[in-house]
Amino acid sequence: MTAPKAPFLTIAEASRLIVGKRLSPVELVKELLARIEKIDPRLNSYLLVTERQALTAARAAERAVMAGRRTPLLGIPLAYKDIYETAGVRTTAQSRILADNMPEHDAETVRRLGAEGAVMLGKLATHEFAIGGPAFDLPWPPARNPWDTRRFTGGSSSGSGAAVAAGLALGALGSDTGGSIRLPAAYCGIAGIKPTPGLVSRRGVIPLAPSLDTAGPMAWTAMDCAILLDALAGHDPLDPASVSGPPVSYASAVATPIRGLRIGMLRRFYEHDVPASPEMLQMMSHAASTLRSLGCRVEDASLPSVQEYNAVGRVIISAEAYALHEATLKTRLSDYSRVFRVRVLAGALIRAADYIAAQRRRGDLIAATGRVFDRFDVLITAPTAGTPPLLTDQRPDDGFSRPLLTTVANVAAVPSMVVCGGFTPAGLPLGLEIIGPAWGDATVLRVGHHFEQAAGTRTRRPEL
Amino acid sequence: MAAVPAMSVQTISPGEMQLLLSRAGLILNPGQVADLVLAWRQVEGLIESIRHDRPLADDMALTFRLPSPGVSPSVAPATPATNAKAKPPIKAQAKAKSKAASAKRRTAPSPPRKGARRGR
Repeated sequence: MTAPKAPFLTIAEASRLIVGKRLSPVELVKELLARIEKIDPRLNSYLLVTERQALTAARAAERAVMAGRRTPLLGIPLAYKDIYETAGVRTTAQSRILADNMPEHDAETVRRLGAEGAVMLGKLATHEFAIGGPAFDLPWPPARNPWDTRRFTGGSSSGSGAAVAAGLALGALGSDTGGSIRLPAAYCGIAGIKPTPGLVSRRGVIPLAPSLDTAGPMAWTAMDCAILLDALAGHDPLDPASVSGPPVSYASAVATPIRGLRIGMLRRFYEHDVPASPEMLQMMSHAASTLRSLGCRVEDASLPSVQEYNAVGRVIISAEAYALHEATLKTRLSDYSRVFRVRVLAGALIRAADYIAAQRRRGDLIAATGRVFDRFDVLITAPTAGTPPLLTDQRPDDGFSRPLLTTVANVAAVPSMVVCGGFTPAGLPLGLEIIGPAWGDATVLRVGHHFEQAAGTRTRRPEL
Repeated sequence: MAAVPAMSVQTISPGEMQLLLSRAGLILNPGQVADLVLAWRQVEGLIESIRHDRPLADDMALTFRLPSPGVSPSVAPATPATNAKAKPPIKAQAKAKSKAASAKRRTAPSPPRKGARRGR
């Protein structure tokens, strides 16, 4: 078997090679930097490449390896969505508003990854302040999908999805308020998990809607997401939403077979609420067969409609995002992109009674979602209706007019991940979403990992 | 499951929109107002689909009762009140077994471990 080229190594593979002193972190980083320089002008996945800092960190990692240190992320090159604050490194949220923002401190998540020996390659494209959509009226162009550069990456962690799929980083950080980790994971054919709220600190991550925001990892495989989550998870007393709980080794947990798990198919979501393409329907059918072949019991499950979750999510996001940006919108309105303005200004008109009604309804939906897990260990659904659309087909008001399947898990406050479910005959990826009960992150990752192994979807990379 | 009611979207005139905007303290040009009118029609529909007629006693504290971490490896409790039936996570299970074994050997409980949380 031929070993994959360095940029296409998984984190698990690269870690084994580095710790075994068969791969130099410095050479790995140099190879990735060269690939970024060559490929990224077609993808726009990076807003900033921190070459000097990356090489310095890689040399430090190499010295640590030689001194006998063995940690899973030692020398692993990662990149961060540009809403994660990085000390002394510009953090813009892809907005003119923060074009010169130079944070003094790292986000807690960035600090944790650095402490584990990870190497930051740079800052990745996002939708402006993690909302909106691809905007062409900002100083930075939107990221493009590596499987077909005319197409949308999904968002808002657009650069994270594109960079990982294209072999421009072994893993990335994204954030997810209504699907912003899982949509780019689906459209770019990678894995990404939105953890249970409170599991991963959001301190130092520029907020969009604090009652729904979550930070999480994106990588080529579910196992790599588990390795990243091992470093990211943990109580942060300075994040008021952070929760203290017992430690869990996600990377160890994913290896446990999934035989006997009860899996609920949210068939009505993608057959009725957000009708999926024939290719997506076929993929979901294959996914169910694959999970059955692994010894799982797969049956239909039902939740309130996708539209109900979306109505609540959209009202909360608009109101909270407007509240956060109100002062700046009043003074620098034209500095925001049109897409941002369309999606956030409506929040100015939402009454307090309507916002509270949305929060109360959210409580109902959290309870209704929780009850389904009496019967099922995890739920599966399509995360999108089909393949990534063309960038030019995106409309500013899409966030309101097209319900997102992924928003269900945000509103329900449960963990959810997307893995690559398969490919269309045209070679475009199709995602599979796995939703678990609150604090069932390890089970979600387990199912994702074993599905990937059985379905064999991790052998193909985009041709660039 | 109850379906979302059909959206009876009210149309908002530019004049009404200007009134709302002045109340919010925003000054928009005509193009921006037109964009907002379109977006607001969508949001109005979403708001209308959310139930507002709730009993007075319904919680307004905006606190959501999630099960505690560590009680749910694969199956979450049906409601927060039934947490006791849920299983602990895999590592916690192993820890619990080990603790139970230790407890059999011990006559007195040991003090709680310090720094057990990952990454602290």
